[in-house]
Amino acid sequence: MSERILSLLAVALLLGTTSSAQVAPPAPPAITNFTLNGSQRVLRWTPFPGAQSFKIFSTTDLRQSFTEDTGGAVSGFSWTGTNTSSARFFRLDTTPLDSNALVTATVLNRLAYGPTPALLDRFKTNAIDLYIAEQLAPETVPETVQNQHTNIAFFESRFAAPTTAIPLSASTGPGSAQVSDLRAWFKLRAVGADRQFLEVLLQFLDNHFVTQHTKTMDYFQFAYGDFTLRNRIATELELRDLNRWRTALLNPATTFKDLLTISCESPAMIVYLDTVSSRGDGLRTPNENFSREIMELFSMGVDNGYDQTDITDMSHAWAGWTVEMFPTSEVFNPFAAKTTTLLSPTGGGNYTNLVGSWAFYYRTGYHGTSRSIFTNKFVPARFGAPWTTRTYANATPGSYQLTFPARTGTNAVQDGYDIIAHLADLPFTQEYMSVKLCRLLVHEDFAHGYDFTAPQLTPEAELVRQCMMAWETNMPRGQIRKVFEVIFKSDLFRSHTAAFAKVKTPLEYTVSAIRALRVSTNGTGAHGSWSSDTDGSSLATPLQRMGGMVLFDRAEPDGYPESGAGWISAGTLAERVRWTQSLLIASGQTGHNNSQSGTGNDASNSATSPVRLLFARLPLLADQQDAAKVADLFLGLLFPGEGAANLNLYRTAAINFLNTADDGVASSPFSAFTTPSTTSGNNTYDTRVRGMVAMLMTMQRFQEQ
Amino acid sequence: MPFINTLTRRDFLHRALLGGAGLGLAALTNVPPFAARALAEGTIGFNGKKLLFVFLRGGNDGLGSVVPVQDSAYSSSIRTNTLIAKDGGTDYAATPGTADFPTSPGAAATFNYASAIRLGNGFAALHPGLKFLAPVYNAGDLALIHRVGYPQQSRSHFDSQNYWENGLPNNNVSKEGILYRTIIESGLASTAPLSAVSIQSALPVLLRGSAAALTNLTDPLRYDLLGVPNSATTGDVKATNALLSAQSTPFPDKKSRAFLSLQYDGLLKTLSIFSSINFTETGNTYVDDVNTDGGSSPYYLFPTSQAKNGGYATNGNSTAKYVVDQSSGSTSFFAGLKAASLILNHTDAVIAGTELGGFDTHDNQGGATGQHANLQQRIGWALYGLQKYFKIYGRNGSAPAAGAKCAWSDVVVVLITEFGRTTIENTSRGTDHAEAGVMFVAGGGVKGYGKSGRVTGVVGCHPGGTGSHPSDANAPWISGPENQAGGVDGSMFGISDRYLKRSVDYRSVLGRVIRDHLGATQGQLNRIIPGYANEAQEHLLIGGTVTTPIESGRVSTPIIGEPDILV
Repeated sequence: MSERILSLLAVALLLGTTSSAQVAPPAPPAITNFTLNGSQRVLRWTPFPGAQSFKIFSTTDLRQSFTEDTGGAVSGFSWTGTNTSSARFFRLDTTPLDSNALVTATVLNRLAYGPTPALLDRFKTNAIDLYIAEQLAPETVPETVQNQHTNIAFFESRFAAPTTAIPLSASTGPGSAQVSDLRAWFKLRAVGADRQFLEVLLQFLDNHFVTQHTKTMDYFQFAYGDFTLRNRIATELELRDLNRWRTALLNPATTFKDLLTISCESPAMIVYLDTVSSRGDGLRTPNENFSREIMELFSMGVDNGYDQTDITDMSHAWAGWTVEMFPTSEVFNPFAAKTTTLLSPTGGGNYTNLVGSWAFYYRTGYHGTSRSIFTNKFVPARFGAPWTTRTYANATPGSYQLTFPARTGTNAVQDGYDIIAHLADLPFTQEYMSVKLCRLLVHEDFAHGYDFTAPQLTPEAELVRQCMMAWETNMPRGQIRKVFEVIFKSDLFRSHTAAFAKVKTPLEYTVSAIRALRVSTNGTGAHGSWSSDTDGSSLATPLQRMGGMVLFDRAEPDGYPESGAGWISAGTLAERVRWTQSLLIASGQTGHNNSQSGTGNDASNSATSPVRLLFARLPLLADQQDAAKVADLFLGLLFPGEGAANLNLYRTAAINFLNTADDGVASSPFSAFTTPSTTSGNNTYDTRVRGMVAMLMTMQRFQEQ
Repeated sequence: MPFINTLTRRDFLHRALLGGAGLGLAALTNVPPFAARALAEGTIGFNGKKLLFVFLRGGNDGLGSVVPVQDSAYSSSIRTNTLIAKDGGTDYAATPGTADFPTSPGAAATFNYASAIRLGNGFAALHPGLKFLAPVYNAGDLALIHRVGYPQQSRSHFDSQNYWENGLPNNNVSKEGILYRTIIESGLASTAPLSAVSIQSALPVLLRGSAAALTNLTDPLRYDLLGVPNSATTGDVKATNALLSAQSTPFPDKKSRAFLSLQYDGLLKTLSIFSSINFTETGNTYVDDVNTDGGSSPYYLFPTSQAKNGGYATNGNSTAKYVVDQSSGSTSFFAGLKAASLILNHTDAVIAGTELGGFDTHDNQGGATGQHANLQQRIGWALYGLQKYFKIYGRNGSAPAAGAKCAWSDVVVVLITEFGRTTIENTSRGTDHAEAGVMFVAGGGVKGYGKSGRVTGVVGCHPGGTGSHPSDANAPWISGPENQAGGVDGSMFGISDRYLKRSVDYRSVLGRVIRDHLGATQGQLNRIIPGYANEAQEHLLIGGTVTTPIESGRVSTPIIGEPDILV
């Protein structure tokens, strides 16, 4: 794309009107200030998204054509020229960034945990739509992450299949994994996986259908006194859900109903939202926690089509969904009998002496009679057709009342499955989940409650409606890949409105920082060859410090926030800046493993060597000594999708940094380092580059995605 | 509109014109406050008055904090496992005025008493875990306001927390906080480097807004940047100057970008302020001026570790001498509370606060002991400790810290929670989300028992009857709606038999504190809490017309407007 955008001083631009659902292009830069200062003329203008270059043209006579004014120079968003005596007319020409580069940056920030140098290379020449297509079908992408770090195989050797009994005492082998292992493994995969979107979605699902590892551990106190054993059992339950979601996401036709079913059957969820102890038999009042949150947070959205009566009514249907310890072969049979296999023949029948696996158990004795839900409720007119006109679970179009046939004994488990199918089919759920996915993948400013029948929809409302249509019209309904396709094809996703509109979560921030500087320096992709890497475990403390992001252990059922405001404050920014500085400080140097104040390590076993990356990219000595080339290399890797003109001031700062001594004052030319080296430690070239890269990565722009 | 977009392009241009390194900081701090405040009304931030908030997240069971023991509907028939039982030897109908401070059985143990603690108004009692509220209450420094809520109360955690924090019931779109607007009205946001601080994992909605970045500290001990290289001689000067310089770099507007910019500015301009306060554990030397439990040493006011948890370390490691439970949630809460207190006492910040989670007791709530009881102990010791900290170490205290700026009479402490819990217990031995709950308001300037003729510090939980409370015209009885259980006046129980009737709007309590304590004018308050500008419908003002706003469940409940809680 070579379109140019023109701004004329003192000439108003008329823009054509655009239809409401289209995304308006950004306004051209406005010349805001023109000053004469002795012998200088200075022009200033407003920034323009993705500006690649600014040029000033001028003429003395409007009847003549404008010619580029070479009597001055552009710096950032201003131009300074010589004040010649003749009056002149000025024009600003803006060349925007290539549109593929913009979309590439958005795709790598949303479908992946940020760009890597190799991915940026690949999509300099290929259309990024190739990557979208691959990532939408992860089952077609070979996964090499296991080769990238030996810790992955190590952690996996500790994981147990759901059908494996958790051993009471083994500290290695299947079943010995604790939650810290699971967290580290999950982060290693986020850093290195080829199936990046699959990893992004697993985090999304785990966070959407949130459960809490420590609550599961606390629950099992009634059965086990051993803290480590409870940790292992609770870890296996988290992993079991992750694996079920992974399997579902690898199926091209997976529906939201499939995902919701996994969550409802999850022993961790049954414990987390207290269904495990809820009883509806006799005159008992069941626990409302799960009924409320499944509608408010997991499917329909708050106050979106239900009220307190529905919560109370629905709570009866879930009474009986509990957990029990089964023989390992019965782990997916909710009607199985408690295991009777003894660990020790003389040990009695306590859980500590039983062999088996904890799983969803339907306890018929806790169930009374389910009540109808959504009684006399109709899909509101704001949804319009087809949602207001079709039928849901009963014969009346638009009515979504769900009535259960009389069921007794184990048959009454079906009441819960009826609810799952019903919720997954409702327009409220389609809307709420579409909004949530748009917030994940486009930008934060989507909400539920749009009037979809309005004659003019905003681009956001229109995109939500299109997502819902994809959900509604592809059979079976609710296929999530169809929804993703709509989002990725949308103008909104591909526009400046989405680009860099979101703030990284702590997980995204740390993982993207490692990825941004990560190349396999010998091309093998093997453990140890990477210019930037982590052992996985050492990211746990930084994430905790950056706002309490402890994976698999969110206390509140709304999951960790997707919005920047939920994460960003002076305190958490201080932690982000510190961690990044620590990451860039060489291993073994002060500040990498031991922080100067406060407690504990910062980067620890996450480490990076920007000079190894630099040498791989700039093999010639002359280039390695060229501050501008070094600055440009890292600007391109850290801020892809931004035009060079907009990075001009960062570039100046980076070059200045490279040419300044550590005191920040004395001149110390970068070109004078005659023997650049990757040797970490007291090598001044190495630390100078580290400092410059740290500066760029601690700037506000690297918080954005 | 989401608040993050409201910083206009013009603001960005202004930032762009600030120029080179350090200039942005200078521009923010070198303007004399009086110059920038020339147009501001009121005295917020200039009268020395401060606010300390604690958000009790999850929905504290108000019935289990301030217990209506004399209400016939409060019984084991609705609460089997969560009932706070009466002590057989105590006459709860008596009205001595003061609260009991039980020292028996087992005077030497902190929490041996396991029954409801008589509050002295003939009706209400404290959870035994709140024992240490009794001295604060009896000094007249505590108001216990029962049945606080808002019209059409939401029972969603997230909506209801949002409403409490943004001051706009039933508006879950706005993420702009009441206390943020208070700071904006003060004029401090653009003139003072520090005006309001939270100490928790994320900046709460209470302090969020688009035109100023109020400060949140996740860990005060780590609020410090590194240099790369991080040498002892050059430190972080080069790196920090580079960051400062970069903050003046203009960029095209984006969603989130303005918000990030403000927070970066906030970080860079507050680094030096906090580095002058000793937040360390060894710096936690704040102890009581009396001995509790008959021991020989005073207890620490902020139990930030096991060694500082009541008399544990000083009384032979007796676990009976803990004043709070020994969980990391407890120690980190008191570390946050300590930091908030130090910040109020040693900086010009007007507002500081933190949060305490764990109140969502759907399951196994417990009664006199258990989850809920542990949390009550934290509340009780927190308010007691704050009173003593400011009375001893604050301005005009008995042993003031060097440079102390804040007296106990300068600070009002408010404890808020998103809702109360169901009156009827569920089958998990817990309680579910409900409506009205309890607010705790403490401070030297609070008008509690014994001040200005007050005979009780309890509002909304006292014997029934039409008209005023028989013994206190300042705390009128709020008659309830027709009670579905039989309609006796004097019962607090109302909506669908599961939810308490609202008698006070939270906005009236916060509004009174913001106006009469912090120094807002009524005009400012009308902007800080927009409901005040709509008196005809909301009735938030002092002596607010008792009327019948619609509650959830379509039951009408009269409210009393602002309770009389400040001297």
